Amino acid sequence: MPSERLEAGRPAPRGEAMSTQHRLDALRGTTPPRPHDARAIAALAANPGCSRRALMDGAGVDKDAAARHLGFPAPFGQSPFAITRGNVFEALVKADGCAELLRMLREALGLPVAEVAYHDVENVGAHLRHAHTRALIDRAATGGQDAGTLYDHPLLTLEIAGHTAYLEPDVVAFQLGGRFHIVEIKSFAVIDGQADPAAVAAAARQAAVYVLALRTLLEELGHDPLQVSHDVVLVCPENFANRPVATLVDVRRQLAVLRRQLTRMTSLDRLLAALPEDVTFDLRPDEDGRPTRPVAELADALRGATARYAPDCLSTCDLCFFCRDEARQEGACDLLGRQVRDELGGVASVAEALGLADGTRDPAVGQEEIARLLRNAERLRRECLT
Amino acid sequence: MSLLTSLARLRALEEGIAQPVATVRHCHLSARPMVFVPLKLSGEAAAPLAAMLGTERERPRLLVVTQPRNRDLRFAWAAELAGVLLPYIEGFLADTETVERRNADPYERAMDAPQLIVPNQGGVAFTRLLGRSTRFRRPDGPYPVPESVPVLGRWLTYFGERAAYPGSALMLAATEELGRHWASGQSGLEDANLAALLAWITTGPSEEAEDPLVWPPAGPATDPGFDAEVLAPAIESGKPERVAEALRTQLEPTWRLMWQAIDLLAGLPEGASAAQRWEQDRGSFSGMATHLAEGAPPQARRDGAVAAAARLARMERAQAAYDVQRAYDDPLVMAEYRLTGEAFAGEVVETDPDNTEGEGRSRKLRPLVVIKTDDPVRLPPGATLGTPQRRAQGAELVSAGEGLVTVKITKGMGRGRTAAPGAVPEVGERVCYTSLTDDFQGSPQLPEAEATPWTHGGPPQDYVPDDEDAQEEWS
Amino acid sequence: MSDRLDDLERRIDELRAGVRKAMRHRDPATARTLRAELRSAERAWDALVSGEQPEVKAEPPRLVTVREQVHQGLRLLGAAAQPRLIVAVSDAFFGGTIRSAQLTSLRRDEERSFRSSPHGRPYYLCAALTDRLSAARGLLTLSTWPLERRVVGPLSPRVDFLTCAIAVAEHGEEHGAGDGRAARLLVRMARNIPGATDGTFGPPVPGQVAAAARAELRVHAERDTRDRAELAERATAQLGDTARLFGAATLMTIKKENAK
Repeated sequence: MPSERLEAGRPAPRGEAMSTQHRLDALRGTTPPRPHDARAIAALAANPGCSRRALMDGAGVDKDAAARHLGFPAPFGQSPFAITRGNVFEALVKADGCAELLRMLREALGLPVAEVAYHDVENVGAHLRHAHTRALIDRAATGGQDAGTLYDHPLLTLEIAGHTAYLEPDVVAFQLGGRFHIVEIKSFAVIDGQADPAAVAAAARQAAVYVLALRTLLEELGHDPLQVSHDVVLVCPENFANRPVATLVDVRRQLAVLRRQLTRMTSLDRLLAALPEDVTFDLRPDEDGRPTRPVAELADALRGATARYAPDCLSTCDLCFFCRDEARQEGACDLLGRQVRDELGGVASVAEALGLADGTRDPAVGQEEIARLLRNAERLRRECLT
Repeated sequence: MSLLTSLARLRALEEGIAQPVATVRHCHLSARPMVFVPLKLSGEAAAPLAAMLGTERERPRLLVVTQPRNRDLRFAWAAELAGVLLPYIEGFLADTETVERRNADPYERAMDAPQLIVPNQGGVAFTRLLGRSTRFRRPDGPYPVPESVPVLGRWLTYFGERAAYPGSALMLAATEELGRHWASGQSGLEDANLAALLAWITTGPSEEAEDPLVWPPAGPATDPGFDAEVLAPAIESGKPERVAEALRTQLEPTWRLMWQAIDLLAGLPEGASAAQRWEQDRGSFSGMATHLAEGAPPQARRDGAVAAAARLARMERAQAAYDVQRAYDDPLVMAEYRLTGEAFAGEVVETDPDNTEGEGRSRKLRPLVVIKTDDPVRLPPGATLGTPQRRAQGAELVSAGEGLVTVKITKGMGRGRTAAPGAVPEVGERVCYTSLTDDFQGSPQLPEAEATPWTHGGPPQDYVPDDEDAQEEWS
Repeated sequence: MSDRLDDLERRIDELRAGVRKAMRHRDPATARTLRAELRSAERAWDALVSGEQPEVKAEPPRLVTVREQVHQGLRLLGAAAQPRLIVAVSDAFFGGTIRSAQLTSLRRDEERSFRSSPHGRPYYLCAALTDRLSAARGLLTLSTWPLERRVVGPLSPRVDFLTCAIAVAEHGEEHGAGDGRAARLLVRMARNIPGATDGTFGPPVPGQVAAAARAELRVHAERDTRDRAELAERATAQLGDTARLFGAATLMTIKKENAK
């Protein structure tokens, strides 16, 4: 684990940043930028090799709108029941001055009984929330006597490729022994001490975004960023009741991945250089916000930026069906998943792999071994199936 | 997944239709399976919404919680479910056979056992959670439930655990079993969609299969669009029949797919070892029933350290046995091992049935067989071999090279001076030998539960469900 | 009749598919029209299936108004509280019929009434005041309380919770727990107070809950009282009658007012 210095989250040097910024703005065109939330930032780390996604996110393109316009709407949505359940659970955890949360922090982390001060940052107007958050965190980091313990609805920021992303965590940053902790409230259940690993991983990635944002804030204020703990408090309902239970989750790994990804985002100019000058992902919305850009033209422009489709995209990226369709047309082995791709080691297209198996194609240099295996496999399949 | 399966997927993609990866069916299929398609309320761990179930395709039962947030209705639903499942399960207990055991009393084993078939792994997980949320309830005390509910909970827990046991067929997930027999031209992730996988197997990929308006998800999660546009207003309306109708539209398509999946699997001849595994299932099922009848407490929330290690070892052995059995039963599965050099097949080109080793009293019959093969053999001389053609036989690899392998038969050719008729393959016969053998490794030496070392938490206390278990909210 | 039902069901299925397709293509106008047709088809289906004309369910007559029930609840609690807790108390002790959703617009209605005829009512349901003297989100108080009780410093949410817990415990002790609802409310509160339960599953002893709450209260009391006094003083000095009850306008609302 390298030292936990902040490498990303700061704008690149001025001049360079401007030209990159202009290119990114042109890429988005007249479509209003889509603000990043923590979930979107966390998802950036899901497929770090995808240039298309990096460019679209860097430019703040509304991928959901683009996918719809292309005729490939994303396959996911959230049920109103799940949303309601999430809201009800969060309200329960925070009810009565965060009574449930205080109980858990006292039990799990030994929070002293006197530490109960609660600040609802949302009591100020929306436009003041970030400034108010800064002021409160500054006071707490300085060690003010009456600095609070719990900060509800703080508004944090993070710089993503020149854009300021506002992060409205449903979380509470709390201070214990001079260290801030992020509290992440999720409504998936922990049953007999076990939770859905995918859900926990997603929560950890999201919490890491908040940790990074809070560390950035402390650094800007001239404090030690490591005052923010890399242990986050994950609060979930226990078993089948609504009773919340807290677990400490170490997000150092997620932080490292996130920082790496954000650093890449700041080097978008390299990706931009590979694109033609005049290319744009503009949807050209009309007055009602309806896209007017010819679909074929937009699709062409997007194909100019290389995607790295993998089936995992189906649960994380709005553009997944478009990229899957593209992969199908190209006959790419990526369609079948990483496992198949890895097994074929370097043979990228379906036709190529089948050609090697049938012996109708000669292996290129370095493909001899996989070609031999494929030919053998083909022989065995034929033998067993006829 | 192996390269052989990967190749099948590539071929499926090119041909536009799924390709077989098995030539026989590797799971027992009951003559009267209980098809069970459960739905849960989105955002909740185990709040049941509905289920369609039954043993006859023309007569599905629909059970609905018309107000999913009402816990009384949930338990009433669980009682209804028990009313269908328990008679089905208990119906298999009457007809039994007596099994003699070495060093133990004989026991009664059911002649047949129940089989639950759910659409996918999500259905298995939900069944397990449903079991967990009902098995500790009590028919008396502050939050009484019908007597059948905790019994149902213990059975569902049992089926859920059994589903994780390699080779068991007491509870099957349709997508898993289909995927074991056919390779589609999509990723494993997408194979979890029953409609999409079946489309690949039957007609070729279909856009419609992923359209929730045409093919609603096979559960247990419902389509968010359906939740918002249909289910929420129906619940809001307070009209139970409307909720039931709405959920019927989501379940009926999957119900039809489930039977289609069963037909497809039934179309394959059953593998030779499936009956043997089903026999173990029957024994396990009878054991569970006895356990219940003797009034044992519900399954613990968590295993103790020794129980967990023992369970893990059992599962590993079962997995190894299942892998070997499938290879012996199915040349297409064996082909995977031939590809990696752990097995080879070919034609017998020469035999020496009367070959012997040793002198005098220790002289032994060791027939030799030479096989011509195209397979890349990666087995050292002296390797112990088995063969699907003569399962009781043991052999040893003598030498291999230049496409010729010499094998020495060491076991299972009779006790006479010459080999029993048919024990040594004839010249021209096609044979297959492999280093995979179904010899179970002995159980690992684990301490008794009472002797659990302190590093593993010390001896576990007997699990006695307390009031808290029984009164745990189900909200 | 079943023919008509079949027709309707087919129609309903088509409309549902249409609505969702329209939603997916972000065509709200079409979705809306289709949804309206869908609702009427569903109503017709309901009517046909239950064999009666659809009618609006009549609300049961309300003996005590929402406003009065909230007043009752707050009086018992004796401290600023969230609608959730007020509803729970009303439900546990007064056979209340209110739901949290009914309380959302209450404060605004009260403010309107106060503005049109100041002090025209014996009491108002009003806001708790933050350290900026604006209305605290999601908290209700009574106009008859001293200002110190109606302001919230950093420790006040905890102090108010403990105060409410004591009130619930003592009320339950005096008037009997009645059915399980009061006991369940006390269980929920007690588990978040150190020493209020002895760790067993049995119902908490009200006296023990109150004593534990008082013990924790003593830890916070001094600083909270000081914070509140300071805030109350500022509120008295800076706010007019309406703002003192319903909170000072935030910068945002002032800007909006000026822009008119």
